[in-house]
Amino acid sequence: MSPRMRGWIRIGFAGPGAVIVALVVMAGMALWLPGGAAGIDNLVLPLVLVPLIWAALFFHACLDSRLGRIALVAIGLFVVHAGLVANKFLDTKSHGQPAAAGEARR
Amino acid sequence: MIHLQKEDTKLMVAVHGWSGIILGLLLYAVVVTGMVAVFAEEIGIWSAGHVETSSAFERPIDATVRELGRRTPARYHEGADLFEIGDHDLGVFFHRHETDADGDLVARGIYYQLDRDGRIASERHGTGEEVFGPRNDDALSSFLVDTHVRLHVPDPWGLILTGILGLAMLVAAISGLLIHRHLFKDIFTLRRKANPVLVDRDRHSVAGTWSLPFAFLLAFTGSFFSFFGTIGVPIVAMAAFGGDVQALNDAVFGNPAKPDTRIVGIGNLDRIAADSIRRTGEAPTFVTIENFGRADSQVTSFHPPRERGLEPQTLLYSGATGAFERVKPSIGTRPSAGGTLAAVMAPIHFGNFAGIVSKAVWFGLGFAMCYVTLTGLRLWLARRREGSRSLGWLERAVTVVGFGLPLALLVSAAAFLIAMPLGSAVFWTPAAFVGAALLAVLGGVVLRSNALLDAIVQSASAAIMIALPILRLATGGPGWARAIDAGQPVIVALDIAFVLAGGWMLWRLHGDRLRREAAAPALQPAE
Repeated sequence: MSPRMRGWIRIGFAGPGAVIVALVVMAGMALWLPGGAAGIDNLVLPLVLVPLIWAALFFHACLDSRLGRIALVAIGLFVVHAGLVANKFLDTKSHGQPAAAGEARR
Repeated sequence: MIHLQKEDTKLMVAVHGWSGIILGLLLYAVVVTGMVAVFAEEIGIWSAGHVETSSAFERPIDATVRELGRRTPARYHEGADLFEIGDHDLGVFFHRHETDADGDLVARGIYYQLDRDGRIASERHGTGEEVFGPRNDDALSSFLVDTHVRLHVPDPWGLILTGILGLAMLVAAISGLLIHRHLFKDIFTLRRKANPVLVDRDRHSVAGTWSLPFAFLLAFTGSFFSFFGTIGVPIVAMAAFGGDVQALNDAVFGNPAKPDTRIVGIGNLDRIAADSIRRTGEAPTFVTIENFGRADSQVTSFHPPRERGLEPQTLLYSGATGAFERVKPSIGTRPSAGGTLAAVMAPIHFGNFAGIVSKAVWFGLGFAMCYVTLTGLRLWLARRREGSRSLGWLERAVTVVGFGLPLALLVSAAAFLIAMPLGSAVFWTPAAFVGAALLAVLGGVVLRSNALLDAIVQSASAAIMIALPILRLATGGPGWARAIDAGQPVIVALDIAFVLAGGWMLWRLHGDRLRREAAAPALQPAE
């Protein structure tokens, strides 16, 4: 792969890639984080942490010398969290009423 | 010290520079207005001449709110929000939550603005977005806050824009930390006798390094606030509640109770207010009543943090009886890591957790951030000038925004002082800002040198600062003796601050000119 091409791929992961992955991670986190004492940690922490998740993905894409590792981390996070959200939707469709994630966590 | 590879350091320098250049001027606008907005409450008191010091919740409100409840249709009894407006007067918003035609969750109801005697001064019907807006006596502080929060771009785009600027600031702060090869040495390095670019670089580096943790915190909390309602809540509600935003709000902010729709009336609100003040030591900043008049009604009062505390205090009362139920966290029904973290975001961002002292520190660090943003832009341009890649238009733009924006804010303050007694401050405050901004842009286009533009804009700003206290007094604002008698020394403090700041700016400009004249050798006829 040419250095120019590698540069563009890196920009893709640092730019739109980091935004998309951060938003999907925020959605997915609501489904696996524990609810905590008040049953709201899984809802609140993703909202609070999303700027930091984005920054971590951005700087990782800028600074990691291995492009493969950048792709692995970003795509891995995306697949896991998008899968969780998709599973929740499929589950909701098959059971009818959406279950409150906060209730499920307690 | 952080050791990066040479290539990585070069990349981080580029990221640091470009993140500042692409969004730097907008970021500067957000930081300047944010710095001023730290004192939005005090500026509101100063500009409108508010001399009342006791909270609306320290005066009887029960009979008034009870009467408002009677005249408000029961469909709007789902919630009643009570808060202070103007000179410690009371605002009450009876409302219900509903989904509008665009699918957005809105609060619709009746917003009453009361005067000091509890009479209705204004009654507005509509959604929260329609009924809330600047008033004649808070047009200046509202304008400042709105500029900072959304740059006057309509929702949700304004909030998204300021959120993106917050992320740019986060990138600039982290990359700024990473590119320091000798962090601790750089904190104390100020070479006064080096060439001007190096002197500017040292100043930028020192101011930036000292304010780095602050910049990080502000960028983080600011982008959180911008993205919270616009992007975060809809996405988390989609994932956790199939898109039901109200269900998410109820889970996070609500007080779950067994529904009891019996109409039993409301407990004594004066007793609730007095009890909440006794327990927290502070008057409420906000009181919300869920299911007004019903047996399952609950009253939540929100108070500033305790001394040396960071998290705001929140108390829960039975709405039907007025009996105290418990201390509750601001977010969630029981203390939790997520709730506490979310609750401290506001005090960290606004710097209001330790009164005037923390506000002053936040203002000072905000000033350092403005300085860092402006000098950063100028350094980036100076480096390109050295490499004969001059960007004259950008240099002009930096001057127009860097000094033109504070000038426009000062002109809007002057316009407010003149227009408020005439009742037209809501129009003239932003109009004067736009007029002054256009004049600064025009100056940037027609003036022949950037230095001349710099000098004119800064001199005008200094002159207006000195004139503001005089204008305030001339337009009927309270004098120093009356302000101090009324327990509002902040009016006097701001008068003095404006005169000192204006005087300092003039002295700097005048002193610079004198120093230049003394340094330049006089030409002899023979030469």
